Formats: sequence, structure tokens, C-alpha cells
Amino acid sequence: MIKRLIAGGKRLFGLHHPGRNHQVFPDDVFLVSYPKSGNTWTRFLIANLVYPDRNPDFSNINDLIPDPEALQKRRLDRLPRPRIIKSHQYFDPRYPKVIYIARDPRDVVLSEYHFDIKRRAIGEDYPVQQFVSRFVRGEVNHPYGTWGENTATWFYTRHNSPRFLLVTYEALQSDAVPEMGRIADFLGIAADKQRIAFAVEQSSADRMRELEKKQAHLWSSTRETRSDKPFVRKAKAGGWRTELPESSVAEIETAWGAMMRNLGYELAVSSLAHAGAE
Amino acid sequence: MPGRSDGMIAHLVAGTKRLLGLHRPGRSLVILPDDVFLVSFPKSGNTWTRFLLANLVHPEQAATFANIHRLIPDPSVTTKREFDRIGRPRIIKSHECFDPRYPRVIYILRDPRDVVLSQYHYHRKLKRLADDSPLEKFVARFLAGETCPHGSWGENVTTWLTSRHNDPRFLLLRYEDMVADPRRELTRVAVFLNMTPDAQRISQAVERSAADQMRKLEKAQSDQSSLTKDSRKDLSFVRAAKSGGWSSELPDSLVEQLEAKWGHIMTFLGYELATSKALSIEPEMVSFMPDKPR
Repeated sequence: MIKRLIAGGKRLFGLHHPGRNHQVFPDDVFLVSYPKSGNTWTRFLIANLVYPDRNPDFSNINDLIPDPEALQKRRLDRLPRPRIIKSHQYFDPRYPKVIYIARDPRDVVLSEYHFDIKRRAIGEDYPVQQFVSRFVRGEVNHPYGTWGENTATWFYTRHNSPRFLLVTYEALQSDAVPEMGRIADFLGIAADKQRIAFAVEQSSADRMRELEKKQAHLWSSTRETRSDKPFVRKAKAGGWRTELPESSVAEIETAWGAMMRNLGYELAVSSLAHAGAE
Repeated sequence: MPGRSDGMIAHLVAGTKRLLGLHRPGRSLVILPDDVFLVSFPKSGNTWTRFLLANLVHPEQAATFANIHRLIPDPSVTTKREFDRIGRPRIIKSHECFDPRYPRVIYILRDPRDVVLSQYHYHRKLKRLADDSPLEKFVARFLAGETCPHGSWGENVTTWLTSRHNDPRFLLLRYEDMVADPRRELTRVAVFLNMTPDAQRISQAVERSAADQMRKLEKAQSDQSSLTKDSRKDLSFVRAAKSGGWSSELPDSLVEQLEAKWGHIMTFLGYELATSKALSIEPEMVSFMPDKPR
């Protein structure tokens, strides 16, 4: 009962985190991805593109590209519009415009594995195979669905829509400037190459590592996590080729092979590579 | 600032309701691991199926428009306090797009050409549309997903099929199959619910939920149901209760628009297209869902 009263009081004053229940405005743009798919990096890229004079860093990123699960309702409601809002949600019909970041699930699971060690959700000796199985069953990030559910519910509903922009983490890694050009067009921002190049530079892995060192305590995702493990890790694609056991690769490709192929990710298990294409 | 204090009062009323459990839980409903959700896009036969299920699972009392929200509760209508008194396992009504928290789902599909007509008539009954409101305009809004808060027909169906089709926790029902053979389809539901499919009990549930029976109940109880309260009495909620009305009621040009947008999904689901304007079937969609539904 006391818990309920506290929650009620917070709600009354708009101090709660609205999560999926927040109000959506018709000019909102959502930056959506499954967790550990490069959302934070893209948030910095877009913040540096749209608000270059605000010097985006871990202390103000939540005011620039807010996260409804980490920002109080009162502050979320008062942000200047149009808002660009971070989200990990599976399909939500209310989102008017969506930039969806997709990433190879074989890398996503490794990133999640290391992040869960950093935030002490699992120990350092937790077996990777077991982690992958839980990941495939949707037990690791269950409020957001499985990787396949999250990606498919957006992709198959919106991929032909002018209100939807699909960006892969891998393309952002290899061609950041042209990919950011697509994002700028989608946001209706007239940005020349120079401005885009500046945003990419300001959001480089090295610079973000430096910021993390100084500001880890200021940001909800790194506060109270292990400081011997970095949040900004390798910032590379394809780590799974050396780090992920073959059986785990097969498990992921069996679950989501068709969706992976649709995103252009080549399958490593040859018996799956052409199955189901008829 | 009168607007501000009005807002504050509404806020306080909502807070008090919450404290007393008189609010509708909506999306904040605490979902239990043995819950079964009865999901569909609006106007796809959800109420009929709700009656069928209520009459199957609770044969001791016939389902009516007055008790249905306690037998098969609706998180946007049934209050939190009533929810807390419902026996488990619960069967819960929903129109939501994919939600990973739903443990088991019965999903009802219906031909979108009939769904749009049913929704058009229902919105007239609810006085959201005037009698002479052009059908063309409504179809355009329907295609854009603007006629209800649950996505477009295509979005709602796609989010469930791409995530759960062929999953043992998911049962796909077509409204058309239920109209054609309700006993057979209700037997499938009973099996899905781990009930022994007793033929007599199933027949009784089908009879108690027949269109004529539901029309009688509607006449007597229209003011006791959130589905019909304050709506026009000259139009009925239980309408034709048939499939295929679109072929005489929906102009060709509108059929063409619906099929152009959703023809690939409709074909996959076994709905024959009337026009050739449908987009070619999207290969990715097919490869994601390799098996035809039954």
C-alpha cells in the first residue's frame, strides 16, 4: 500500500518514468532499435548533427534525444518539438516516424553478454552458449521481445513506408557519412557534408570512450556498473566470427535466418543459407 | 488558468480511482503466466468469439452483454478491482498489436474487405460518422490505420503473424471458418485451452452464442454494455453475422485499393483476390512464414 501511495504521488507530480505509456505527438520521430544495436552511438551521431552547439555528451544526451524509460514525464512533456525520442520498443502503431537501427543478432548477443557482465546481471564465467539460448528464447530482454520479434514487427509493417528509415549498424560503421546523409534527409535537415563529417567525428568511438571515462557516473546506463568494463567496447562489426561458438551461431540462424537474410546478413551455416526461400 | 486546474482535478480523480482499484488497467495490467489472450483487430468477430469462449468455459451461466466483461475481461473496460477477483486461468480480450508479454494467444482474422464495412457501420452506430459519410473517405482512413488506435488491419495482423505464426503458444482462427463450421473451430479452441472437447458442451456454447440469441440479448441489455451504451438504437451491434458482404456492398474501386495494399497478406491467409491490382507477393514475407495456415 505504501509503495502504491509513493507511486501514485510520483505520478501526480509527473516524476515517474512513463515508459511505453507516454504521450506521442504527431511530429515526434523515434530512434528505435533492439538493445545493444548501436542505439547510443546513433543517438550521439544524431544529437551532434541536430544540436551541434549543445556539445552532446553523456550528461545531456537524455535531454537532447530523450529516453522515456529514463526521463521523468514532466521533463519529457516539456521538451522542445519536434522531439527525437530513443526507444527499444517492438512495433507501436502510435509512432509517427521511425528510424530503425538493425544489427546482426550474432553481434548483438555478444554485446549484450558483455554489457550484462558490466552491469553484474551475470558473472564473468557465465557460459556464452547458455546465454545465447536464453537470448534466443527472449529471456534476456523480454520487455522488448526477442531480436526476431522486435525487428520483424517493425520491418514487415513499415519497410515500404516513407515514414520509416531502416539503417543497419554495419552500414553506419563502414559508411557513416552517406548513412548519416540519409538520416538527415529523413529528418528534413539541410546538412552539408562538412556538418555531417563533424557529427561523425564528434561521435567517434575514441571520443565516446573519453567521455565515458569522465562521465560514467552521470548516465543511467553506466551508473553503478563495473568500472573495469567499458560501455563503449570495440565498436566494430563481425566480432561473432571469432568469439561465438559454432553451435550458438547455428542456434541464432535457425531461429531468425529468414529475417537475417532480408536484412542482408549472410548466414554461416550452409544448410540454412537457402532454406525457406521458395 | 482554468485549463490547468481542470487538468489537476482530472488528475486527482484518476489518482483516487487508481487507489481504490476502480481504474481500468489497460496496458498496465499485470499479466500472469497462465493468461490466454483473445486478440483480433476490431470488428473481426471478437465479441462473438468471446461469447463462444465464455459459454464453453463457464457453462454454469450463459454469457450476456451484462456479464461478458467479467467472464472474458477487457483491460480497457473491466476495472482493476474486478480483474483481481477473476479466477485463473484468465482469458482476456485484446485488440493490441504484438505484445511479447502475452503468454498464449488466440488470434482471430477476418477478411479486411468485410472488416472495413463492419467498422464503418459500427462507427455510424457510435455516432462517430454521419449516415451520409462517404465510404470512400472511411476506406482511405482505414488503409492509413486512422480509424482505431490498434494500427492498421495489415499492421495488426502482420505483427502477430511474423512473430508467432507456427508457434505452439499461438492459435490462428479465421472468422469465415467459424461462420462456416463453428463446432469444428470451437473444438480447436478447446484443445488449445487443454480442455477435453466435449461435443455436447461445444454444441451448447455454439447455440448460446448464435446470432439470433445475441440479437435478443443486445435488445434487452444494450445499455449495460460498453460496446453499445450511448450508441444509436436504430442500428444494431450484432449485424449480418455473415462473411462476404463486401462483394455486394463494397464498390470495386475500394476493393481494389484494399487489395493493392494488403493483397500479399490476404493471399497468404487464403482470401481470394477479386482484382488483379494486388502487389506481387513480397518474397521476404513468404520466406519468413514458410507454411500456409492450415
